[in-house]
Amino acid sequence: MAADSLSRLSKDPCENAASFMKPSGRQTSARWSHGSECKLCRFITDTGFIPSSLISLHPSNPHLFLIGAVERAARKAVQDTTLQEAVASITVVGRVQMKTRKTLRGHLAKIYAMHWGADANSKLCVSASQDGKLIVWDSITTNKVNAIPLKSSWVMTCAYAPSGNLVACGGLDNMCSIYNLKGKDGNVKVMRELAAHTGYLSCCRFLSDSEIITSSGDCTCVLWDIETGTQKTIFAGHQGDCMSLAVSPDFNFFISGACDFTAKLWDIREGQCRQTFGGHESDINAIGFFPNGNAVITGSDDATCKLYDLRADQELITYQDSGIMCGVTSLAPSLSGRLLLAGYDDFNVNIWDALKSERVGVLAGHDNRVSCIGVSADGMACCTGSWDSFLKIWN
Amino acid sequence: LVCVCVYSSSIMEELDVPQMRREVESLQYQLAINREKSSITVTELVKWIEGCVCEDPFLNPELMRANPWVEKGKCVIL
Repeated sequence: MAADSLSRLSKDPCENAASFMKPSGRQTSARWSHGSECKLCRFITDTGFIPSSLISLHPSNPHLFLIGAVERAARKAVQDTTLQEAVASITVVGRVQMKTRKTLRGHLAKIYAMHWGADANSKLCVSASQDGKLIVWDSITTNKVNAIPLKSSWVMTCAYAPSGNLVACGGLDNMCSIYNLKGKDGNVKVMRELAAHTGYLSCCRFLSDSEIITSSGDCTCVLWDIETGTQKTIFAGHQGDCMSLAVSPDFNFFISGACDFTAKLWDIREGQCRQTFGGHESDINAIGFFPNGNAVITGSDDATCKLYDLRADQELITYQDSGIMCGVTSLAPSLSGRLLLAGYDDFNVNIWDALKSERVGVLAGHDNRVSCIGVSADGMACCTGSWDSFLKIWN
Repeated sequence: LVCVCVYSSSIMEELDVPQMRREVESLQYQLAINREKSSITVTELVKWIEGCVCEDPFLNPELMRANPWVEKGKCVIL
C-alpha cells in the first residue's frame, strides 16, 4: 500500500511515529486513543521497538492495521533490475500445442485433487473425488491400480509419497488420512489418521514415509510425525485459511498460500516464517516452487499468477490478461520452469511463457472447472483433473 | 520509517497482545533475512531456465519422439 493512498490523521498515538489511515468506508468508526487504553501502542513503546510491522491490511479487522515502510525499503534496496529487463533480448517461445493422450474415467463426482508419483518410470498418479474415492491410476494403460473408498467423501486434497508406498488425503473431516499401498495382505488400509486441525484440510505433501505437512482452513500448517500421529511443528502466521502448500526440491522449506492474499516461505526445521509475499488482491488457491527452488509461483482468485524471487525477496512478474477474469485454481511449472501451466475456473488451462509473461497455449477439453494440475516427474506429461469427473493426460 | 497503528476502541478489547507480539517478532525475523541483489538472482534464474529448456520435453520435440502415452500400433496389449 503506497503512502500516498493514505490520509494522515491529526494525532499521533505514540511517540516518534507518524500515523495514517487507509481510506475506507469503515473509517468513521475508528478513532484515536492513546495511553493506557492503547495496549498496542504501549507494547510498541515499552519494547522501544518501532517495528517494520505488518505490511498488509489485517484482513479480519479493517480498523486495525500496521504499516511498515522498512521492509519495502529493504526490498527496494536490492532491486537493481527487473525480470523484464533481464529477458528483453529473449524471444517468446513458440505456440505450445498439446493433445489429450488419455482420459482417465472412473470417478463419479467432481475431482478436487491429483498428484503424480515421484518415480518417473511408473507414470502413476493419484486422484481424489467427492464421490468418496481415492484412485491410483496407471496413466499409460488408464487402469486403476487402487480404488480406495474413503470414510469421508468431502475430500479436498491428496498426495503421493515420494517412495510410492503411501498416499494421503483429507478435506472437510479436518483430518489427514494416510493409506499404505503396500500392505502385507495386498489390501489398502488406513495407516494413520492425523487429527488436530480445527479447520478443513486444504492440502498435504509428504516429506518422506514418516513425515507429512498439511495446510488447513484453521489458518495453520502442520508438520506431522506419521508414526506417532502427532504434530511436530505448527506453522502459524497466516491471517486467513491456508489453501495450498508446496515443498522445496531440497525438502528444507515449504511455501503456503492463503486467503489473506499472501504466500509464506517456512523453514521446516526452524519452524519459522522466513518470508511473506503479498501483491495478490484475492485468495491464493495454488502455489508451487520453481524447479530450482529459488522462486515461487502463486495462482489466485484475482485471475492472476505471480512469480516471486526468494533470494531477492521480490515479486518478479504477474501473469495476467485482460481477457481472463476468472480465478486460478491450480498450477504447475514445466520441467525447466520456462512454461507455467495454470488451471482456471473457465474450464481451461492456460500455458504461459514464464519469462516473457505471454500466453503461448491453451488446453481446452474439460466440461467444467479445472481443479488440479500436475506435471509428471520426468516432465513428459501434464495431468489435469476437473469437476467434470475426468482426468486428462496431455503432451 | 513509519510505524502505524490505527484502531477502534471497541476492537482493542479483542486484541490479543501476545499474538501481536508474536506477529511483530515474526516480522523482525523476516526483515532480518539476507536479500541478494536482483541483478544476480534474476540473471541466474533466467540462465538456469534457459539451460534446462533443451531438457524440457514440452519445449524440445526430440524428447517427445518416444512418447509413452501415444499408442504405437492399432492394438494395445493389456
